Amino acid sequence: MTETTNDGRIHSYIPPADPPEHVRELLHTETATVDPTTHEVLRHALWNTLMEHGTTITRTSGSAVVVYSHDFNPVILDEWGDFVFIGPWLQYLVAASSPVAKWTLENRHPRPGVEPGSMWLTNDPWIGATHQADVSILAPVFVDGKVFCWVGNSLHQADLGGTAPGGFNPVAPDVFSESGVIPPIRIVENGELRVDLEEEFLRRSRMPDVVAVDLRAQIAGCRVAVERMEELIERYGAAVVKGSMRKVQDDAESAFVRRLEQIPDGEWREEAFLEVATPDDRKVYRNALTVRKANGRLEFNNETTDPQIGSINCTLPAYVGGIAAMINTQLMFDQMFAVGGALRRVDFVAEPGTITSALYPSSVSLAVLTLDQCIALAGLCLSKMLSCSPDAELRKEAQSAMGCSTFPVAAYSGVDANGNVFANLFSEPMGAGMAAWGWRDGIDAGGWSWDPLVAIPNVEEIESIYPIMYLWRSFLPDSGGAGEFRGGNSLEVGAIAHGVDGVDHHAASAAHHALPLSPLFGGYTSDVNRFAMLRGTDVEAQFAGGKVPTGDTLEVGELQIIPAKASGIHQGPGDVFTLRYAGAGGSGDPLRRDVEAVRLDLARERITPGEATRQYGVVLGDGGEPDLEKTAERRGEILAERRSWSGPDAPRRVAVSDDGAWTIGPGLQVVADDGGRVLACEECGTVFSAIDGNWKDGALVTEIGVENGNRLTADPRILIDDDFVLRQFACPGCARLMDSEVRRQSEPPLWDVRIKETI
Amino acid sequence: MAYLGVDIGGTFTDIVLVSDDGAITATKTPSTPPEFERGFLAGVEKVAALRGETAEEVLGSCDVVLHGTTVATNAVVQMRGSRVGVITTRGHRASLPVMRSSGRAKGLTVHEVLHASRHYLPPAMVEPSRILEVDERVDSAGDVIVGLNEDQVRAAVRTLVDDGVEAIAICFLWSVKAPEHEQRAREIALEIAPDLFATCSHEASARIGEYERFTAASMNAFLGPETRGYITRLKQGLQAKGLDGRLLIMQASGGVAADDRAARLPVLTIGSGPSAGVTASLTLAELRGETDVIATDMGGTSFDVALISRGAPLRSPTSIVNQYEFFLPRTDIRSIGAGGGSIVWYDEGTQTMKVGPASAGADPGPVCYGGGGTRPTVTDANVILGYLNPDNFLGGEIPLDVEAGRRALAAVGEPLGMSALEVAVSTRRIVEAQMADLIRQMTVERGMDPREFALYAYGGAGGLHVAGYLRELGCDHGVIPLGTLSTTWSAYGCATSDVLQVYERAVRMNTPIDLGALEGIFSEMEDLARLDATADNIDADRLVLERTLEMKYPLQIHQVEVTLPAGELTDGAIVAAFTKRYEQLYGRGSANVAAAVTIVACRVLGRGQLRRPEPRGAFEANPNLVETTRSAIWIDEKGKASEQQTRVLQADGIAPGMTILGPAIIEGDTTTVAIPPGCSATPTPHGDLHLSLGASDPPVLIGVGAGAGADD
Repeated sequence: MTETTNDGRIHSYIPPADPPEHVRELLHTETATVDPTTHEVLRHALWNTLMEHGTTITRTSGSAVVVYSHDFNPVILDEWGDFVFIGPWLQYLVAASSPVAKWTLENRHPRPGVEPGSMWLTNDPWIGATHQADVSILAPVFVDGKVFCWVGNSLHQADLGGTAPGGFNPVAPDVFSESGVIPPIRIVENGELRVDLEEEFLRRSRMPDVVAVDLRAQIAGCRVAVERMEELIERYGAAVVKGSMRKVQDDAESAFVRRLEQIPDGEWREEAFLEVATPDDRKVYRNALTVRKANGRLEFNNETTDPQIGSINCTLPAYVGGIAAMINTQLMFDQMFAVGGALRRVDFVAEPGTITSALYPSSVSLAVLTLDQCIALAGLCLSKMLSCSPDAELRKEAQSAMGCSTFPVAAYSGVDANGNVFANLFSEPMGAGMAAWGWRDGIDAGGWSWDPLVAIPNVEEIESIYPIMYLWRSFLPDSGGAGEFRGGNSLEVGAIAHGVDGVDHHAASAAHHALPLSPLFGGYTSDVNRFAMLRGTDVEAQFAGGKVPTGDTLEVGELQIIPAKASGIHQGPGDVFTLRYAGAGGSGDPLRRDVEAVRLDLARERITPGEATRQYGVVLGDGGEPDLEKTAERRGEILAERRSWSGPDAPRRVAVSDDGAWTIGPGLQVVADDGGRVLACEECGTVFSAIDGNWKDGALVTEIGVENGNRLTADPRILIDDDFVLRQFACPGCARLMDSEVRRQSEPPLWDVRIKETI
Repeated sequence: MAYLGVDIGGTFTDIVLVSDDGAITATKTPSTPPEFERGFLAGVEKVAALRGETAEEVLGSCDVVLHGTTVATNAVVQMRGSRVGVITTRGHRASLPVMRSSGRAKGLTVHEVLHASRHYLPPAMVEPSRILEVDERVDSAGDVIVGLNEDQVRAAVRTLVDDGVEAIAICFLWSVKAPEHEQRAREIALEIAPDLFATCSHEASARIGEYERFTAASMNAFLGPETRGYITRLKQGLQAKGLDGRLLIMQASGGVAADDRAARLPVLTIGSGPSAGVTASLTLAELRGETDVIATDMGGTSFDVALISRGAPLRSPTSIVNQYEFFLPRTDIRSIGAGGGSIVWYDEGTQTMKVGPASAGADPGPVCYGGGGTRPTVTDANVILGYLNPDNFLGGEIPLDVEAGRRALAAVGEPLGMSALEVAVSTRRIVEAQMADLIRQMTVERGMDPREFALYAYGGAGGLHVAGYLRELGCDHGVIPLGTLSTTWSAYGCATSDVLQVYERAVRMNTPIDLGALEGIFSEMEDLARLDATADNIDADRLVLERTLEMKYPLQIHQVEVTLPAGELTDGAIVAAFTKRYEQLYGRGSANVAAAVTIVACRVLGRGQLRRPEPRGAFEANPNLVETTRSAIWIDEKGKASEQQTRVLQADGIAPGMTILGPAIIEGDTTTVAIPPGCSATPTPHGDLHLSLGASDPPVLIGVGAGAGADD
C-alpha cells in the first residue's frame, strides 16, 4: 500500500497496532488468571449480555428492516476496541465497530472526553460505518475511572437525509449528495441523551419519528449491556472478567491457528463484477479478492480490483467487515463468533482508491451492496482454500456462491391513506437461496450462511403497516444453480399498491442483474436479480371476476424491466411490481446428482422438467418419472459432447487411490509422480498439472453464453456492453465437469487454486 | 366429589386422586404407547387398589377427571402424524415451506445456530404437493377483495381426499379479520368428507402473522385424527368403567378445557405436561401464601423454568417444536439442556470443559447406571461427590457403578490436568451457573428481581442443585416439594387446574382510544367466555375474567403485554399502565412519553374455577427416622471444595417441626436434596421442604453437622 495518513479523513482509518501513549492511561488492562470453570460461566454470561443487547433492540425498534431483516448487530469489544464477541445478526455491521472505538479513544480523549455514562454515535464510513445509514452507538464501560471495555451496536436507520429517500443514492456523484457523514459525537453524557445533538441528528431525516424510536432502541440496547457488564464486574471482579475476555480472544486465536495448520500454504482467488456505476452506465467493474495463506497467517488482498467509480464503492472498514463475516461463519463457528482472536492472524490489504477501499469524498451510500459482494467473494475464496485441506471435516465448510450476493434494494415510498409518509424495502432477499456445499444441497430461501438468525416478515405484517398488497410470494423453481448439490432457490414477489393511488419504487442494486456469481467446482450458475413493473395488467378485472392473479395468469400490457439503479418509478392502479432475486450457486457436476434426488426435486417443484433433462441429463417417462435407461443414455451423450471441447492432446493417467488420499479443490487428488507431485482426477487419474500449477491448463474447456447457465438468466448484453461468457472446465479423461467461471471472454481462465506448499 | 388428575408422559403415567375429604392418593404406572389409554386405566386400578376400592368405585366418585397427555407433544416431536392437506389463498402456498427463512435454525442451541453448514429444515409436516390454492382474498382491513371460489374449494378437497389426506388445514390470509371464507371452506370440506378432520387457521390462533398461524393450523391437523381418536377411546373407556363426571384436558396455557374442545384443537395440548407442573406450583404457592414464584424443574435431560408473577404464570404467545414456530398461548417455560443426564465433555475447539446440552437420556444413561453409557454426566458427578447413594438409588433399583463414573470423569479432565473430583466439582458449578443464567434471563431481562421471588425446585434432580443456583442468584431460600406428590407433580397440577380459555382479537387502535369500541370488543369476548363457561358447567360466580392488551408505540414492531387496570377504562390509565410496563422492561427513560400509543390486540383470559376440596398436606410424622452418615464434597460460594462428614436422612422420616442443618442429604425414592454447610431445611405442613441459605433459627431438633456455621 502506498504511504498515506490513515486517519479516517481522506483515507479510511487504520488503527495503530497498540494504543497511543495518551490513550494508554485511560485503559483498564489488569487481568487475573481465570479458572476454567469460572471462564465457562463468564463466557456464557458475556454471550447472554450480547444476546440481551440484541433482543432489546428488536423489541424496541420501530423499523421493519431492523426487526424483520435484522439490519443491526451488537458487539462487545475490549478496552482498546478489539473484538471479544460479535452478535449473530447482520455480522458485517459491527465488524466496523472496532475501528470506531479506537478512533474515538485516539481523537476524543481527553477532549471532549471518553467518560463514564457517555455514548458515542457515528455513521462515518471512513472511520467505521458500512454506509451512512448504518449508525453505530458505542458505550464505554468504566472501572475505577478507566475504560474496561466497550459495548455497542450498529443499526440501519430508515432515513438520514440527503437527496435520496432511505439513503441509497445511485446517482450521487460523491458523498456530498448523500446522507451527511457524522464522525463520533458524544450523543449521551452522564447517562442522559443530549437533546441538542438528538435534534441535530433527527432534523436531517425525512422520517424523524422512526429515527427517534430506533436511536432510543440503540441506546436502550447499550444501556442494558452496560448494566450487565457492570453486574458481572461487581460479581466476579474486573480482573477476572477481563481475564475471561482475554481467554476468549486467546482461545479463538489458538483454534484459528489449529485450523490454519490443517490447510496448505497457497493462494485462492475469486472475481465478481459490479454492474453499472451510474444509472446511464453500461459497464462492468472488477471486484477481486485473493486470500493467501503463509506463515500461519491469512492475507486478504483486493489486488486488480478496479478504481473507485460512481456509486458502487465501499470503504476499507466495510471491506474488512464483509470478509470478517465469512471468517466467523466458515472458521469460527465453534468459537461463538469470537472473531477478534482470528483477526490477530489476518491481514487486510486493499489498494486505496479502489471500489473496495474508496477515498473521501467518493459516493458510498450503496456500500453495503458492494460489501455484500465482498462477503460472497470471501466465502468463495475461503471455500476454495478449505477444499484444499486434508481434513475432511474442514472441507465440509466449503460452500458455493451464496444467493443474492449483493442485496438488491427494492424500496418503495409514498404517502399513506392517513397522510403519513412511509418508506420501506422488500426484505425477501434476506431469505436468499442458501448456497450448496461441496457435500450437500443448499436450502431454498434459507438465507445467507453468515446470517443465522434471518427471518423475513409475514405478508400480513407488511400489509398491516404499508399500503401494498402481495399477490404472490412464491418459490422460483430452477433459480438455484444446478449441481451434484443444488443451490437454494429464491423467491419471487408480486405486489400492487393498495388503499392508495400509487406507490413510488426506487431501485439500488450493484450487481448480478446481468451476471451471476461464479459457482463452485462444476456447479451451475444461479439466476440473476430482476426488478420489473408489469404495466397495464388485468389485475383489477381479475379481482372483479373473482380471481387472484399470479405470475402465470396475469395479463400484462407492458413488461418494464427496472434497471439496477433507478428512482421514482411510479406504480399506479393496474401495475404490478415484481421482484426476483438471485438464487445460490450449485456445487459439483449435475450429471453426478443422484437420479432419485432429481425425482424428489421435481416432486417438490424445486426444478422444472425441462431443466431436469437439460442440466441433469434426467429424461422423464410418460408419467413424469425418470426413465433410468434413457437417463443413462442422455448423460452419456452429454459426457461425449464434453469430450469434444478443446483441451490437451494426450492426457496422461496415474494411479489414484480409493480413500484416504489428499484431494483438493474440484476433486483433484495429490499423487506422487516421477519425483514430484501432480494433481490428478480422483475418478480416473488423468493428470491436470503439477501440484503448484494451474490445473485448468490440463482441462477440457468450452465457452457458452452466460444465459445458458440458468434458464431464468437473460442475455447479459441487454444490460451491459462487455462480452462475458460462462467458461466450463472438464476432465479430459472422464469428462466430469470440474469448474465454471463467469469471465470476460478476452481474459484467460482464472488461476484460482494455487498450492504453494504441501502439508 | 373426588378429583382425578392423570398426567401421561413418555415413560410414566402419574395419577393423583384427591378425594372429597381432601385426602390424596398418588401413584405411578408405566405408560403404554401408542395406546396410552391402557396405561391410564391401569393407573386408575392401581390408585383404587391403594384405597382398597375398585376402579369403578373411584371413577364413579369422580366429579372431574383432569388429564394431561403427551400424545400430541410426542407425535409432533417425532413427526408422526396424519397425512395433511392445506387449502390456502392463491399466491401464498409457499408460506408454510418458506418458514419465513428462519426454519433452519429456529430453537437451536447457540452452538448449533452458529454452525450454518449443519443447518437443515425439519421434515415437512405437509408435503408441498398437498398445499392447494383457491381464489379468495381479504385485505388488512378485513375487506373482501376477492370472494371465496367455492367450486375451487370443492375441487381441492376432492383432490386431497383422493390423495389419502386424513386432515385438512384451511389457511387464508387475514382470516383473523374476516373468518367467513375459512368457515365456509370448512363447511364445504365436511360436506364432501364428513369424517375429515378439518381445522381453520383463525380457530388455531387469532393472531396476525400467517406463517405462525398456518403452522399452528397445520400442526393441529397433523395431530387431529390421532388425538381425537385417543380422547374418544379414553372417554368411552372411562365411561364404561363408571365415570359419570366430566373429562377435562390439560392445555399448554396451564388450564384445562372440555374434552371435545381439546379433540378439536389438540395443538393447544403441546407442552401441557410442563405447564401442569407450573400449575401445581401455583397451588403450592396459594397454600404457602406466595404470589411471586420461580418454578424450576430439573429432570434427566433439561432444566425448565417458569415464572409466577402476582399469582399468575407468565405466558408466551408462541412455541417452537422441531424448528417450527407457531402461535400457541402457553405458560412461558424456557429450557436449557442441563439435567441429570447432561453430558460432561472436553471441547477441543475451545479447550475447555463443558456440560450439556447433549444428554445421555435414559438410554444409555449416566455411566454409573451401567446401561452402556460411556460419557460422564451430571449424575455421575453427583455420585462421586457423595450426593447420591450408590446402594440406594431409586430405592435401590439400580446399583451404581461409582468407579466407572469416576474413570469417565477423569478422562474428561485429562487434557486439562484435572482429576475426576475436580471435574465433578466443576460440573456442578457450571450447571448451576447455567441454571442461574436462565433464571436471570427470565427475570432480570424482564425488569424483575429474582430475589423478590420464592424459588421452587422440583423434578428428580432439582433438590441436588437448588442450593447452588439459589446462591448464584443471591436468593436466600428455596422450596422443594417432597412427600407423595413430588414425584407426580404434573398430575397434581392437572388435578388442581382451572378451566382456562384464551380469547384474542387483533385490532389497531391509536390514542386517543375509542373507549366505546374497546369496551365493545372486550364485552363480545367476555360474552363468549360466559357462553363457553356455561357449556363447561362452570357457575357464573366461579368464572374470573382478566383483560389484557398488547400495546406498542405506533412505529414499533413488537408489543408489550399490559394487564388492564381495574375499574373504568380511561385513556390515561391505559397509557400509564403501558408506560410503567415498558420502563420496567427497557429501563427508566426508555418510554417516549410524548408519543401516541397503539393497541394491537385485546385478550380475555377466562378462568373457570372448579369447586374442589383443599388437598391436605402429605407429611406424616414418622417416628422411625433413619439417619446415617457419609462423606460428601461440598462447594462453597467461592467455588472451593471440601470433604465433610454429612448426615443422611430418609425423606419418609422427616416431619414438620424439624430443622435440619447442613451439611445434610435427604434421600427420597426419586428425589435427593442436598443441604450445604451453613444452610438449613425445615419440612412444612404443606408437604414441602423450606431450604434457607442463611443460618437457621432455633429450635434445632436434629443434626448439627460438622463444619456447619454461619453463612453470610
